[in-house]
Amino acid sequence: MIIEGIVLPIDRANVDTDQIAPSRSLVALDTAGIGAVALTGMPDAEALLKDHDDAVILVARENFGCGSSREHAVWALMARGIKVVIAPSFARIFNENAYNNGLVPVVVPDAEIDGLLHAGVLSIDTEAERITVGDRQIVFALDPLRKTYLAGGFLKFMDEAIPDVRAWEAIHIP
Amino acid sequence: MSAFVANGPRSGQSYFDKVWARRTIKELPGASALLFVDRVVLYEILGARATLTIDERFGGRLYDRSRILAVTDHIAPAKDTDSAIQAHTLRKWAKRNDVRMFDIGDGGICHVVVGERGYVVPGSVVCCSDSHTCTLGAFGAIALGVGTTTLTGAMLSEAIVVQKPRIMEVRVTGLLTAPATAKDLALYVANRIGFRGGVGYMLEYTGEAIHALTMDQRLTLCNMAVEAGATSGIIAPDATTYDYLRVAAVEVPADSHFSADSDAYYDAVLVIDANDVAPMISWGTNPGESVPITGSVPIDADRSSLEYMGLAPGEKLHGLEIDQAFIGSCTNSRLSDLRAAAAVLLGRRVQVPTIVTPGSERVRRAAEAEGLHVIFQDAGALWTHATCGACCGLSMGVLAPEMRCASSSNRNFPGRMGEGGRVHLASPEVVAASAILGRLATSADLPALTVAS
Repeated sequence: MIIEGIVLPIDRANVDTDQIAPSRSLVALDTAGIGAVALTGMPDAEALLKDHDDAVILVARENFGCGSSREHAVWALMARGIKVVIAPSFARIFNENAYNNGLVPVVVPDAEIDGLLHAGVLSIDTEAERITVGDRQIVFALDPLRKTYLAGGFLKFMDEAIPDVRAWEAIHIP
Repeated sequence: MSAFVANGPRSGQSYFDKVWARRTIKELPGASALLFVDRVVLYEILGARATLTIDERFGGRLYDRSRILAVTDHIAPAKDTDSAIQAHTLRKWAKRNDVRMFDIGDGGICHVVVGERGYVVPGSVVCCSDSHTCTLGAFGAIALGVGTTTLTGAMLSEAIVVQKPRIMEVRVTGLLTAPATAKDLALYVANRIGFRGGVGYMLEYTGEAIHALTMDQRLTLCNMAVEAGATSGIIAPDATTYDYLRVAAVEVPADSHFSADSDAYYDAVLVIDANDVAPMISWGTNPGESVPITGSVPIDADRSSLEYMGLAPGEKLHGLEIDQAFIGSCTNSRLSDLRAAAAVLLGRRVQVPTIVTPGSERVRRAAEAEGLHVIFQDAGALWTHATCGACCGLSMGVLAPEMRCASSSNRNFPGRMGEGGRVHLASPEVVAASAILGRLATSADLPALTVAS
């Protein structure tokens, strides 16, 4: 899949899930409309979001999505139109949540982030695992297992694993 | 001094390696594995949604309902219609499926309840839809916080896909002694590793200082592994672990008595001398941004953290005025934490609104049996039911913008306890002393009590 579009640049490390999906978004079981709160917990959210209303690619620094395990962070970004997040590292739970929902978490070396923050527009080929910025290309590697979940296959994978689990349990759990 | 040291020529297995091997169902591409999950815990916010998916997509099918526990804790009791719908959804589902539920009046914070009732044993895997599930690594289990979809998968198949983390040994030598507490050690570790330094790692805590800790102290320490960015934390079981589980009337599988090899290999080794740990306080907007309370805001401190916290580089923290105090959360709400806070508050009065929230209804009853609630109430503090409460800013004790709160919880993120609210993380003792003086302080700052003759 080719994802092309405007970059939302967040020049900060440790963007936690309280900032991505503030706690007021957790109260309702029905998460329709959650896109409106996406990233509003960031200290400088208002100006940044106003200028990047149509962004589809988020670029940030290390440890993106740290903190609370709330999957609402992924749902909020996706509801806002974000399809790809690029960072030098992701917090473990956010990374899993992203793959499980089809939000593409792209890891690139720290040295590439400055350029990507200022790129304005990017094109990402999730199959070729390649970012095109101007006339340059940056390669990345998605997780070989988890990229198969991007189209919604995680729970199917778990469901199909049940016979293996049963067989293992019969031998290993007294 | 603490330092990262070289590992040396070692080839043995860590404790974590052994638990990993023991629970691996099969290897998967990309250094991942499918692990068996002994215990699944869900709570109303992320959990209720998972029950809907199980019902809608899988006809309500569960792998083994007896391995699942449901809890209401984050907004408990419900505060409005939306949160009531969440809790009601979980409650109805648990009843229909005969899943053990710890509801208001019976439960408390999931990690406290699950731990004190012995639902997690050494050598097992537990997952829960909360990032502080790492708390339960104190029992020698692989304890994983997960999101809603991973939780749903675990309910469906009693298994979880995990990428094998690298392992960092956090070796704590010496003995942790008063006034330093396990909370101070947790903040010290987060500071030494850094808020993101542990990303991709499992922290395996070892050393004589660790094995001298009580279970409550171990739970406090492991609770904050995620605050160093780590996948989780784990402590190999010893006599303290087995004694605790025996008291909780839990049968520990005979084959779960094992420990790390003496020549265990770790991908990184951090050595900490417990004697270097002093009462800590956070100054910034992540737990790694912490210093000894006698210290100052670092000169090179992150500018946006300082702006949010209303502090300047080099500013002294000791003596900083506060507007609220909170003692509670899955970090510090167990009986020993409440005893420690009560010992400071006994015979004194708080100067700022102070909330004391036990971690479970069992803890509340035990504290009340000792009269601790009377000490808190006589000091002018609010003694509440068991809940996550003020920690997550969802239902009570919410901070106003620029309100400064000393808190025994684990997160000081922007907006965590209320939009614009400023959180200083510390031990229950430091929070209690700060509440009495209305400024950040330790119990050494308190005037001696005069005894009436």
